[in-house]
Amino acid sequence: MSLIEINHVTFQYPGATVPSLSDVSLNIEKGDFIAIMGGNGSGKTTLCKLLNGLIPHYYVGDIEGEVIVDKMKTLESKVTDLSGSVGYVYQDFENQLVRAKVIEDASYSPLNFGYPDYLERGKKALEKVGLKGKDDEYIWELSGGQKHLLALAGAISLEPGILIVDEPVAQLDPQHAKALYDVLKWLNEKEQTTIIVIEHHTEFISEYCKNVVLMADSKLIWKKSVREGLTRINELRERQIYPPQITQAAYALTEKEDRTLPINLSEATEYFKSFNLTECFQPYLTPVPNHTGEKIVDIQQVDFSYKMISRQKKKILKDVSLTIHKGDRIALVGNNGAGKSTLMRLMTGIEKPEFGDVLLKNINTKGVAPESFADMVTYIYQNPEEMFIEDSIQADIEYFLKARKVKDYSETVEKIIDLFQLREIKDRDGRLLSGGQQRRASLAIGVAMQPSLILLDEPTANLDIGTRKHIAQFIQSLKNEAEAVIIATHDMQLVSEWANRIIVMKDGQIIHDGDRASVFSNKALLNSAGLTPPQIMELSQLLGTKLAYSIEEFVAYAQESKEEVTFDGYYKEAARVY
Amino acid sequence: MGQLKTRYVMTEQQKMMVFILSMSLFGMATMVSELLPELKFGLVEFKVEYFLFIPLSLAILFHPLHAAVGAALGRIIFGEIMLGQFEALGEIESFLGLVLALYVAGIIVRDPSNKKMVGFAALLAVVIDQFISMGVDIGKVWIGVEEFEAVPGLIESIVAIEGFAFLNDVLFSGILFAMIPTMYLVPKLYGKIEPLLGMKPKTKDLNIPISDIITPNFMVGAAVIAVVAFVAEAFSESEFAPSFEWAFAVENEILFMMISLIVASLISILIIWKILSNRENRKTTN
Amino acid sequence: MDITKKLQGFISVEQLKIEVLNAAYGNTDTTIAKLDSRTIFMWYVFYAIFPWLTHSWIVLTGMFLMLVAMIYLARVSYLLLFLFVFGLVGQGSMVLGVSLFFGGNLTTILPLLMFELKLAIISLAGLIAFSTMEPEKLSDGLLKIGVPAQVSFSISYGYRMLPTLIEEYHHVFMSFRLRGKAPDQHGLLYWRTVLYFMTLIVKSFYPLMLSSAKRARTTVESLESRGSLYSFKNPAVKKVKLGYMKFTYKDGLFGLFNLLYVIMLFMLAVALH
Repeated sequence: MSLIEINHVTFQYPGATVPSLSDVSLNIEKGDFIAIMGGNGSGKTTLCKLLNGLIPHYYVGDIEGEVIVDKMKTLESKVTDLSGSVGYVYQDFENQLVRAKVIEDASYSPLNFGYPDYLERGKKALEKVGLKGKDDEYIWELSGGQKHLLALAGAISLEPGILIVDEPVAQLDPQHAKALYDVLKWLNEKEQTTIIVIEHHTEFISEYCKNVVLMADSKLIWKKSVREGLTRINELRERQIYPPQITQAAYALTEKEDRTLPINLSEATEYFKSFNLTECFQPYLTPVPNHTGEKIVDIQQVDFSYKMISRQKKKILKDVSLTIHKGDRIALVGNNGAGKSTLMRLMTGIEKPEFGDVLLKNINTKGVAPESFADMVTYIYQNPEEMFIEDSIQADIEYFLKARKVKDYSETVEKIIDLFQLREIKDRDGRLLSGGQQRRASLAIGVAMQPSLILLDEPTANLDIGTRKHIAQFIQSLKNEAEAVIIATHDMQLVSEWANRIIVMKDGQIIHDGDRASVFSNKALLNSAGLTPPQIMELSQLLGTKLAYSIEEFVAYAQESKEEVTFDGYYKEAARVY
Repeated sequence: MGQLKTRYVMTEQQKMMVFILSMSLFGMATMVSELLPELKFGLVEFKVEYFLFIPLSLAILFHPLHAAVGAALGRIIFGEIMLGQFEALGEIESFLGLVLALYVAGIIVRDPSNKKMVGFAALLAVVIDQFISMGVDIGKVWIGVEEFEAVPGLIESIVAIEGFAFLNDVLFSGILFAMIPTMYLVPKLYGKIEPLLGMKPKTKDLNIPISDIITPNFMVGAAVIAVVAFVAEAFSESEFAPSFEWAFAVENEILFMMISLIVASLISILIIWKILSNRENRKTTN
Repeated sequence: MDITKKLQGFISVEQLKIEVLNAAYGNTDTTIAKLDSRTIFMWYVFYAIFPWLTHSWIVLTGMFLMLVAMIYLARVSYLLLFLFVFGLVGQGSMVLGVSLFFGGNLTTILPLLMFELKLAIISLAGLIAFSTMEPEKLSDGLLKIGVPAQVSFSISYGYRMLPTLIEEYHHVFMSFRLRGKAPDQHGLLYWRTVLYFMTLIVKSFYPLMLSSAKRARTTVESLESRGSLYSFKNPAVKKVKLGYMKFTYKDGLFGLFNLLYVIMLFMLAVALH
């Protein structure tokens, strides 16, 4: 008998017109590490909520079929009975943390079940996820990555045999995501915990998972081993899921869709050895600053710190100087906490520097209300929901123009609505849209302000890869709308494809200011700033070939060198004959 | 009745959600309003009493009881306890007053898309709440100040201050921060916020008779608590309370001796405390 | 009064958040914070009721001085102290002014002043008692004395969510400001500016209500699966949870000290009468 058995389950949410799961059957064995892939609305989350009994006990919908988890029939058990067997980490995990201190939250479940040793259990869970020693910290003092780990600690505090994690990578920067997966791996190997992740980052799936499930349109399409699943390239692409970049590259070169394709980096280095790619010496490039255009922002030796709860000051920016010129498309990169968001907020006039000056088009931000810079700068929040202040997208786009009594504003608004493909959803409330739609709307709101400078904070975070590609196209078009654009991001794909200037920050200082060649050729810099380049770039580095920024470049390069090899071969052949 | 119940039954979790929502939002809003500056022109005081529109909107859109209790609790926790303005017994009336006001407002609005009704309910809620607090305040001084009648001008001034404050709150906070925002918010939220909590919006034909929710038990319970609280408070402030002015005459010399004895023991308590806690600290550092 | 400056002071939300959290968590290592919460409750009830039982200036002044000393020991947050003094002075001067206006004189309003002093004692006691207790301690204490588990849970949850809510409110508020336009002229008595900010303060709650609703859903779901709703009804949980609470010598000494002090005050009152 399997650990989890789902037999022909059909489920419909109350008030919904179509079922969210239709005739789904799935068995999961003990000790598995399984990923569930699928587009938005394919029923992934519904499937997982079936396992901890929230469906049908919390969401009282119409259900058919049978679910057996850890020998318990979920339809007949209580949610609380199942919580000893199933731990759940939500996508919006912050709302899962309900206590003020770390240890209190970690030991919350054991306490609720009346275990006298609840504190020890909490401590043990914290130790497992690597939060040892943080017992007495307050939740609001933790970073995003630590909060996620704490949510995980809370979920495993009852030592459940099954752990479900909903889209871990979406909310975290690459380094934290890796740290989280390492914990999951440890739990899987050392504690034999069965791990279920909802995930569409195939690079992580190939690295950590054993099996993979594909869902679409509330149906379960298949369950396969990771190797078999991820090499079904065409089928995945059709479902808007992108296999690892190296697998795609290998497929583009061989056009063979089978199990021999590499799915992770070490396999790929072996695999491409047989291609005899010509090595290419990558010279270390020094940054060439190109400062010709008109000055838009001038930041002069700025320091910034904020007060902590203990009323002590914490330095965020140290002696930062920077000028931004017309035509700049800047990517601001670096770890969380490097000071990227703060630097951007200084440029909006919301925050004022502690020392030094910030000049926006020669006006000092000190002593001027942020409203007066609204014509010049737009800041697009990391969480698009915080941009929606009206009850419809259209009203939100109009707000700025209306407040300034701009004549013929409706024309501009109409144009922008079409530009960002918002026509069909223009009357809806921003908060009720999907992640991709929200992003598009927030960009439209920013563009409607017709600023000289657009600042975007993590515009592609929390999106699945298909949507991310879609949004990246809109970001490309921003350069026509403003004199300069700055993006703070972890998305190196976006950085390499879009930016003409890359600023690397670390610990409140700018450690590098150059173009993509100077950044991505500098391994020491990437390491110290904690940047994870796209997989294909890593591969080209490992193989020692010319640095490839995209799959297409890599494939083109590989084909070129193949021709060279063939040509070399002919030449040698000819030489032998003579 | 049977049909009605099936349509308007909320699960335990949904009640909890409404409760949490109302508590945290109104609590935070109360804190904001407590910290807002006030503007005074002599007697006329422009002060934001509270942002009642938040729990009002929730009470009108959802089940009124949980929104009302959540809001009243949120106000005590954030606005009173957290800001150190908790007044023990006095809170009971303000708690009940607020619950009652929100509750009534929530019940009388059957169709949240009817703006006039929403506006009326909002204003009514402020009137109920402020009227109760005015009555309590006047009563408190009446009983709490000895020789109330003997102080010339006191009755007039208290009634004048409280009456004016009542009008001021109803007109200023009531219209600007309850009626107008509620009329603006409720139609906007109606149909949008309910699905977020996994509920169906309240429908027009939904008819909750007041008797269905304000049960006799509830009325009696509320009345009893209110009366007990008021009497307790009034009693504690009145001269009927046991007087500790010592009736028996004691020689002053003996008294002074006892006082110095007490002072000595107070000092020794402090010393013992210091020694014990030092020892404890040393133990923990070791 | 420069309203805009004051409003901007308020709008330094970071500062507000810090002050509030400090008030709740900042002073946990003080002498008074080490007492058992039940001791503090009893102490508070004593100070909240006792002033009503006397009309002696000596006793009341003595209690007031004691509380002032304790304020120092308890390291109450500046913000709260400021609010307290501000409120007391405002209220007192108002009553005095009106009373004089209606024809009272200084001797007749002494009872009123005493009334204000009593109110001040009660507020101060509340300030000391509740601001020195960590929210967790407060909610555990309430649970112990029989308050429903839902209420005590709400308190600790409320404190947990507060920083998040303030931050989100701040962001929305800033969204309005970054896209809006402040009035060019302040108008008579700044009414335009005040109106502008007041409208923003109210309007900012609309987005907050919707996003909090979303949040509440995940929270309650997680509470359900973490067994919290179930634990509200389980007495065993209460026992385990409150197992750490016990009276120590400190509680005894503290109680004795206060009792003796008040007795002394009464003796002084009689002696000096």
